[in-house]
Parts: sequence; C-alpha cells; structure tokens
Amino acid sequence: MKEEEFTFFEAYLSEELSEEERLSFENRLEKEYELSEAFNNYKESYGFLEHKFSKEKATEVFTKNLSKISDGYFTDKKKTKVIKFRPWQYVAAASVVLFLGITMFNNFGGNPVYSDFAIHETVSLTERGNQNQLYLHAEQAFNSNNYEQAEQLFSEILVANPKLVEVELYKAISLIEINQFTSADKILTGISNQNSAYKYSAKWYLALSKLKQKKYNDCELILKGIPVNTDVYDLAQELLNAL
Amino acid sequence: MNDKKTHRDQLYIIGLLNNDSIIIKEIYEKFAPKVIHYICRNSGNEHDANDIIQEVLITIYHQAQKNNFKLTCPFDAYFFLLCKRMWFNVLKKTSKKEVTINEEILSINDDASLLAFETIEFDERQQLFEEMFQKLGNACKELLKTSFTIKSLQEVADKLGVSYAYVRKKKSLCVGKLTKLVQGSPVFKKFKN
Repeated sequence: MKEEEFTFFEAYLSEELSEEERLSFENRLEKEYELSEAFNNYKESYGFLEHKFSKEKATEVFTKNLSKISDGYFTDKKKTKVIKFRPWQYVAAASVVLFLGITMFNNFGGNPVYSDFAIHETVSLTERGNQNQLYLHAEQAFNSNNYEQAEQLFSEILVANPKLVEVELYKAISLIEINQFTSADKILTGISNQNSAYKYSAKWYLALSKLKQKKYNDCELILKGIPVNTDVYDLAQELLNAL
Repeated sequence: MNDKKTHRDQLYIIGLLNNDSIIIKEIYEKFAPKVIHYICRNSGNEHDANDIIQEVLITIYHQAQKNNFKLTCPFDAYFFLLCKRMWFNVLKKTSKKEVTINEEILSINDDASLLAFETIEFDERQQLFEEMFQKLGNACKELLKTSFTIKSLQEVADKLGVSYAYVRKKKSLCVGKLTKLVQGSPVFKKFKN
C-alpha cells in the first residue's frame, strides 16, 4: 500500500472528499480488487481505533462495575458454601456410601428404591443475607421433613418471585415426597427444557420421581439423557447400574 | 444470521451494554455456577472461573458495543460455550500436556456455536489489533489517541501545535502502519484462511 492511498482512505472515511471524488473512488472500489482489499483492511484498523478510544471511558466504568459484582458474587459464594441448599450435592456424597449397599441389594435381585437415592440433608434457604420470614419457614418445614407445608411455602415464595428456578426445584422435590407426581413432573419437565444451571438437576429429580412411581423404563430413559459434564452424572450412572 | 429472530435473552446483552448491575448480578446468579463447576472439573479452580467469566463478559460487551450484536439463541448456551472455549485457550497456553476437553464448539452446527465462534474471532481480532497498536511508536500512539478522542482534526492540530494538513497526513500514515503490522502477523493470515 502506498502512502497516498492511506491519505485518500482517510479523507474518504472522514467524509472530506467532494461528491465527484467520492463516487469515483467507490466506483474504483467495485472494480479494483486490490484497492478494495487494502481499503477494507485500513477501514478495519480505523474501526478498531475509533472503538478503542471513543468507548474507553465507558469500558473502564463497565469493567470496574463488573469486577465489583464478580468479587461480591465469589465472596458470598465462599461465605455460604457450607450452608448452601444443594440437595443433589448431599446426595452425591451420600451415594458413595450407598453404592456398596445398592450393589449388594442388586445381588439379591429387585429394583432400587426411591428412598435409597433421595436423601435430603439439613439445608438453609436464608443464604445471601435473605432473612425473609417466608424463606425461613420454608426452610424449617423442609428440614423437618414436613414436605406438605414446605410445598405450600415454596409456592408462596414463587407467587412473589416466579422466576426463582431453584425454589421451583425444591417445590418439585417436596411434591415428589408427598406423592403428587403429576405436578412434580410438570415442574421438573419445564426446568429440564429450559437452559439454566438447574436443567440437569431437574432431570435427575424427574428420574427419581419416575423411580418412586416404579416407572423404571421412563426413569432409565431420563437418566440416559444426563450428559457427562454435569453435577448429577455420577449419580445417574449409579442409578442406571442399579436398575 | 440477520434474518433470524432475536432471542428473548437479548435482555442480557442490553443489560451488559447499559452496565445494568441488576442484570449483571442475574447473569452471575443464573449462569456462573455451571461455568465454575465445569472449570473446577477441568484442571481449574474458582479463581480461574472468576477470571474467565469476567473476560467473557467484557468480550460480549465489546462486541455488542461495536457490532449491534443480535442474540439468536439462549444466553446460557452461548455464554457457556464462550467460557469453555476461553478456558480451553488458557489450558492450551499453560499446559505442556495435550488438552483433551470437549471441543463441541467447533462441531455443533447451531446458533449458539456459530455465535460463540463469531465472538471468539472478534475477540482474537481485537487482541491482535491491540497488540500491534502497542508496537507503534509513541508519537503515532499519541496522535491516534488524540485524533480518535477529539473528533475535529483542527482541534487536534491546535492542541498539538501543528498544521491541520500535517495531522491529517500523519493520522493516515499511523493508521496505515497499524494496518501493515496487523497484516504482517501470522495470526492475521490464520483469519484469512
């Protein structure tokens, strides 16, 4: 590329050319491949610089805010790690112990049972500084195995915050516990079909619901749909082996 | 992609563009756990996940700012693919061992992987331009910064105490120099193939 070309490109992009010059240049761009390529490369550099400097301040403000939110999120996560409500993780830990038992059980024939896999440890919903009484009552009901009441309280929370997928999942677990399978399966199918962090946990519980209903084929089919890189994969494999 | 329908998750893109703290927090609450879990299972830790998530969100922010970005798939899928790919790049740089994590980003032909691919290429191009910009001499860097920050070249000339014609010529030569540096880089040749 020649220096004169750069000067000309600059004049074009800064809209300093006369109408006649502009049209003649555009005409050349259509016909001359090399010129067109050189111009496009120049234009890309021009666009990069324009973006870099005109948005510099906004980017700085954004990056600062993002860093603050991110640090807040990861600090909260550490603080609440011990009490976080992730029933499937407790099940994962418990399942290691269970595995031997299930294997032995299977040696004597028969199908695995829901209670072997559905283990809910003491949990807390009042993480992230949420001291709402409703949350507290829901948590207490769930922890004392009062699933009927827990289900009602989770439903109340969802009326005010219908987008809390995590709470929807707890509601579904409570529903399985009180044998309201149709409602539980409907919620779990909904979560499984959405893209959220709970997609595969919902699939796992849907499989557990089918297990409790003794619909072993359905259970197996759902378990096979749980991919490798998920929280519940190991559990799903154990249950599949036991089926 | 332009004829495709914008996904309702575009709200996350707009939220990032507007630096909307509520939306950004929601992105963390909803989508970060999966990424953290993935990175922790693939030779990383929470600190790495923190870096990757921030890096990806800044890239999306830049792309949205520049290209009027339209999301045509769920944000979750797009975001997760980007995080995976960026983590894969980090592992590739830092590990002498062969990295064998899944590369479905290049094999699944859907909206999420196509969009993620575009964003990654956008990011790599930005990085290349930035790297080459840093290789320019100080005089060029200073002039480009001033002339792209202050829109009027006359004002730039007044500020630098030189003539308008000089600024215009020098600006075009500096942009040209950057263009040549970029074109001469092996990374740029990779984009062309």
